[in-house]
Amino acid sequence: MRLDLTILAPHLGFLAEGALLTAQVCALALIGSVVLGMLVAIARTSQRKWLNRLAFAYVDLFRNVPFIVQLFFFYYGLPEIGIYIDAFTTGVVALSISGGAYASDAIRAGILAIDDGIIEAAEVSGLSQGTTFTRIVLPIALRTSIRPLGSVLINMILTSSILSTITLNELTGNAKIVASDTFRPFEVYVVLLVVYASLTYLVSLGITLLHRWLNRDMQEQVN
Amino acid sequence: MLKVENVKKAFGGTIVLDGVNLTVNPGEVVSILGSSGSGKSTLIRCINGLEKLNAGRITVDDFDVSKPKELAEARKRSGTVFQLFNLYPHMSALQNITLAPIEVLKRPKAEAEAEGRALLASVGLGDRADAYPAQLSGGQRQRVGICRALAMQPRYLLLDEVTSALDPEMTSEVLDILAKLAKSGTTMVFVTHEIEFARQISNRIVFLEKGVLLVDLPTAEFFSAEGGLAQPRVAQFLSKMRKD
Repeated sequence: MRLDLTILAPHLGFLAEGALLTAQVCALALIGSVVLGMLVAIARTSQRKWLNRLAFAYVDLFRNVPFIVQLFFFYYGLPEIGIYIDAFTTGVVALSISGGAYASDAIRAGILAIDDGIIEAAEVSGLSQGTTFTRIVLPIALRTSIRPLGSVLINMILTSSILSTITLNELTGNAKIVASDTFRPFEVYVVLLVVYASLTYLVSLGITLLHRWLNRDMQEQVN
Repeated sequence: MLKVENVKKAFGGTIVLDGVNLTVNPGEVVSILGSSGSGKSTLIRCINGLEKLNAGRITVDDFDVSKPKELAEARKRSGTVFQLFNLYPHMSALQNITLAPIEVLKRPKAEAEAEGRALLASVGLGDRADAYPAQLSGGQRQRVGICRALAMQPRYLLLDEVTSALDPEMTSEVLDILAKLAKSGTTMVFVTHEIEFARQISNRIVFLEKGVLLVDLPTAEFFSAEGGLAQPRVAQFLSKMRKD
């Protein structure tokens, strides 16, 4: 059999629509999971016992349940008790919640690795807890967390392909439709492979640049 | 005035400070000597509020460090320089110095930076303002650490074994600056193992042993046979340190 991509020409617009939707969901979920990950990382490194436990419970729960089960619960389960959320929102929320659990782990490790003395220097100089967190703790934690955080985000983009199971016509969903319309799954999925690889490559490129910038004081060592 | 009154501190069952009294007047340089584990660093950490007291009182210009509402004011009056520098690794030398003046004292950025550059120039680092800590030598890092503390214009400078992590050459870089500060009338509480240097710059020397303040004497008396040396423990400590 030979590869004939011209067969897909009439369907390119439809596939592009799917790709755009995937990019939108992922961009929003990326922001959502990083913000959530930071908040949960703060909670998990906090002195307050109850906040600590709550955060640990959240991370344990969402890491120990398959993503597709979480997704079905939100989309097909919740309407049973009167909570209706559209597919797009469900997708973004589910990806953010699940991604946030993993992201918090990466960020937490970065926070715990910070030398106590640095925090103490900030404390005795009179900086408030909020300023210490945003200006000292977070930027230093991200220096080491950014790489594992990148893996979490890339994994999240790959996981977004599951959203087609809740009627969301993202890239994988539309590709399935095109494949069954044209009976040319080989061509369709070759395109899919390339698009997903490019999408994740873009993110990992961004992560690399961010990593380099965050560690700009020791350029030779990290390159 | 910086006042330490009958301070007690224990970590678990280990008593680290056992009823310490100490007064430091403005303009004085007071050196704290004692072997490792005698409680010197803990005393500094109690003064800047990093450790909670089990008993007693510490006031910095009448602000009680044990009262959360007064601690902020007490901390504005003291600046700490650490043994391991504790610089912010992601910030340039200048940013390390200007962060607290801008955020805590609400100084305009341009003003804080001008002062920061002047401080760096005064310790011989005028051309390294934009360097990151990882790009500086140990002695240079500690000089930035001193500038960071001075930028808050503290009335009391607390120095916690600031040369212990440095080789002799870098040590002298840092000590030269401290000697200059002492001369200009900066009030300092100086925890150190540099006995000869302490002797040169201090008005008073205090000797801590197992959490107890054994001796508190003007420098000349501390080193005299009928003063500090009359204490067998002090004599033993000094002779041992000199042999090393």
